[in-house]
Amino acid sequence: MKNNFYKGWIIAFILTLNLFLSANPVEAQSYRVESITMPEGLSSETGAIDFLPDGRLVACFLRGEVMIYTPGTKTWKLFAEGLHEPLGISIVSDSEFLVVQRPELTRIKDTDGDGQADLYETLSDDFGISGNYHEYNYGPLKDDKGNLFLGFNTASSRGQIMKEVRGKKDSLGLAHASQMFSPVAYRGWIMKLTPDGKLQPYASGLRSPNGLGFDLKGNLFAADNQGDWVGTTPLYHIKEGRFYGHPASLVWKKDWNSGDPFKLPVQQLDSMRTRASVLFPHNIMANSLTQPVADHTQGKFGPFSGQLFAGEMNQGRILRIMLEEVKGELQGACIPFIDQQGLRKGNNRLAFAPDGSLWVGQAEHGWAGDKGIQRIIFTGKQPADIDSMNLTLTGFDLTFTQPMDAGIADAGNYSFRHYYYEYHKTYGSDQFDVQSVQIKNIKVSQDKRKVSISLANLKPGYIYELKLNNIRSVSGEPLANSMICYTLNNLKN
Amino acid sequence: MAGSKNEPVIAVTINAVAGLRYDLPRFKVKPGAQVKLTFTNQDDMSHNLVFTKPGAREEIVNTALNLGDQGPAMNFIPESDKVLWSIAILSPGETKTITFTVPDSVGIFPYVCTYPGHGFVMYGAMYVTNDAMPPIQNDLNISELSRSEEKSKIAGNTVEAASNKHVHASTASQMQHPYKPVAPYLYRVFIDDASPAAIAVNLPHQISYCWDAGSCRLRYAWEGEFLDNTDFWKGHKDGNAKILGQIFYRDKTEFPLRIGDFEHIPVVRFKGYKLIDRYPEFHYFLNKTEIFEMLKPKEDGTGLIRTFTIAGSGEDVWFTFDSDDGVEYTTLKGKQIKGRIKLSSGKTHPFSVIMTKKKDLKL
Repeated sequence: MKNNFYKGWIIAFILTLNLFLSANPVEAQSYRVESITMPEGLSSETGAIDFLPDGRLVACFLRGEVMIYTPGTKTWKLFAEGLHEPLGISIVSDSEFLVVQRPELTRIKDTDGDGQADLYETLSDDFGISGNYHEYNYGPLKDDKGNLFLGFNTASSRGQIMKEVRGKKDSLGLAHASQMFSPVAYRGWIMKLTPDGKLQPYASGLRSPNGLGFDLKGNLFAADNQGDWVGTTPLYHIKEGRFYGHPASLVWKKDWNSGDPFKLPVQQLDSMRTRASVLFPHNIMANSLTQPVADHTQGKFGPFSGQLFAGEMNQGRILRIMLEEVKGELQGACIPFIDQQGLRKGNNRLAFAPDGSLWVGQAEHGWAGDKGIQRIIFTGKQPADIDSMNLTLTGFDLTFTQPMDAGIADAGNYSFRHYYYEYHKTYGSDQFDVQSVQIKNIKVSQDKRKVSISLANLKPGYIYELKLNNIRSVSGEPLANSMICYTLNNLKN
Repeated sequence: MAGSKNEPVIAVTINAVAGLRYDLPRFKVKPGAQVKLTFTNQDDMSHNLVFTKPGAREEIVNTALNLGDQGPAMNFIPESDKVLWSIAILSPGETKTITFTVPDSVGIFPYVCTYPGHGFVMYGAMYVTNDAMPPIQNDLNISELSRSEEKSKIAGNTVEAASNKHVHASTASQMQHPYKPVAPYLYRVFIDDASPAAIAVNLPHQISYCWDAGSCRLRYAWEGEFLDNTDFWKGHKDGNAKILGQIFYRDKTEFPLRIGDFEHIPVVRFKGYKLIDRYPEFHYFLNKTEIFEMLKPKEDGTGLIRTFTIAGSGEDVWFTFDSDDGVEYTTLKGKQIKGRIKLSSGKTHPFSVIMTKKKDLKL
């Protein structure tokens, strides 16, 4: 009996030892990634996710299903079916959702209480569809006044338009090979659907705005994709009446009389456009940014409250975005979040659960990507990371999430370079004027959480890319990320 | 490389196409052959083309992924003796040609796009051999996408052959949803001969129809199986759902319903649909007249019963048809005269038009 008791302890000890040895030898991570088991038979390309107040997940999938997942019991239930590429959802109640699909913005409702939708009511179809595969529809994003924002992708010159389209047809953009175009209204626009049902043009110049989101102050953002007229992936702060650079949409501008917008001089288009608040250097930060969501969890998801998180299609990462207002416009920096920690690529849709975990739905749809849904949970262990990067008169302030060791005072641990991406009609852009930027001075705050770095130059229109080396927290933990990029549109003075 | 001297140069063309694919899944050359390879990027994003030593594809793809910010300058092609030949990143529309001599020994040489995110699906194989290549549908050296495409080509031929013999195509081969669709059910689809806002509905008795929400009208109906959505669901390229059956009815009118003035085509407004016992009842406006329309199969499977409920505007409602549209019309109410049925005005209760297919008619 006694013998067995000891044996039991020895086995338990060995098992525990094994656990220690097989776990990350450095230390526990601040975030962990869990994969959600998807129902059998589902092609789980995720078009939209959001949460009911009781913690159940509502998810749309690209073959047309709307399903509800109960995390407690890990069970899936079918709510609706037959939709055409549902790519966005707004929850009204546990029996009523607004879903944007290819042909319409649709109210989907279970009116008889059997748990399945029976009413599919058109909320708006006052927009064109040509049948071109690339005319994806995004949104609906609801503001506090009850307006719903939608984003309409342009058509691809690699696809055709159908003989019969819905809505008025425009042929101006059709003649341009390898340009995304806008054969029907309002391709390339962000639209506003008012509570009384009017769909109004809101902002133009978008190419592929796969992801709309608000920050905590109600500012509207749209991600776009690298391509023609988009040198590298941008995040735009969308304001009414603004133009964001892709010319195709301009044919639908009220009273447009300047002819074929692709034939306007680049300088003219450049002077019309609003630049991205944040640019994501291609292949370095992101290739294809998706839905931005604001961290409203008040600490449940870690130290980054109020910042934006956005998905990335080509790499197994999320991007974290920090913004500040300079000369009346938002600009700021981006940094990877949870690289190589088990997150798949194809991170198309994001939503915070009531418990503060971040859920990520994946898709591929012929591009680089994946399928399924994962969730990212803050373990409670504070990460050693850059909390924010702010422009100063002479350089940048970096604020860390915790006190750092002496290494933060050493200029040799930082290397800055700057470059810019060209605004032009060709697909993407090389980096131009790539130069390292000399550090003139470093000042460390008394609490060792902030460094103020003065640089030899600050040029508006450039990205300032900073790499950090050998910087650890006071407790010896290395930084979670070693690179951050700030998009410098405006100077402080 | 002795063999190359007297051998003619083998010309090979590989295109990068939509959907992270090379259009050539694999090809074969003899040992020692000289290959003139032309690579064109027909896709709307950047791609490169890298030949690796046999078995080294995944290693090179992973090395390319880890190039980090060095990647773009290196065209995502790692410096490695396992990279044999390569073409740097091409932007959409660009073409480049290289010439190289393959080894004298046999082997299977992968070619792959090492652009981040592409390499795990976008690849093919060059066979250096004097023998035949293995059956393509089982060839693990080509991408899963190409393999399944080859499989479905073969399966497609079988389906065609089967339906020619009036045998129903197998639809149970693979689950397409987390549920088993049971008629009636529908898909919002891109489909031929309709606007891009189409609705395809599968009914009991092997009858299906296409109702167009863009123009608020029934477009056509068919008998047989429902749809093949393979192309439609693929993504990143145009693709319509394909009808798996025989069309027996096609609306040939300018517009089937008229409100008040018979000559006037009404302005349509689609309001959605309600599922009643899973059958969709379409809801729309013609001018200011509100219409509800429900289609059910005739119980003997010989056609459709089309029921309209008109929320009264007090105006006359006309139902028109073309006698060459494939069906015979009968109606319980209303008066039929020369291709049109006049319905009593102001009625709010439903009326039905029964559409019975004419025998052996093909549209």
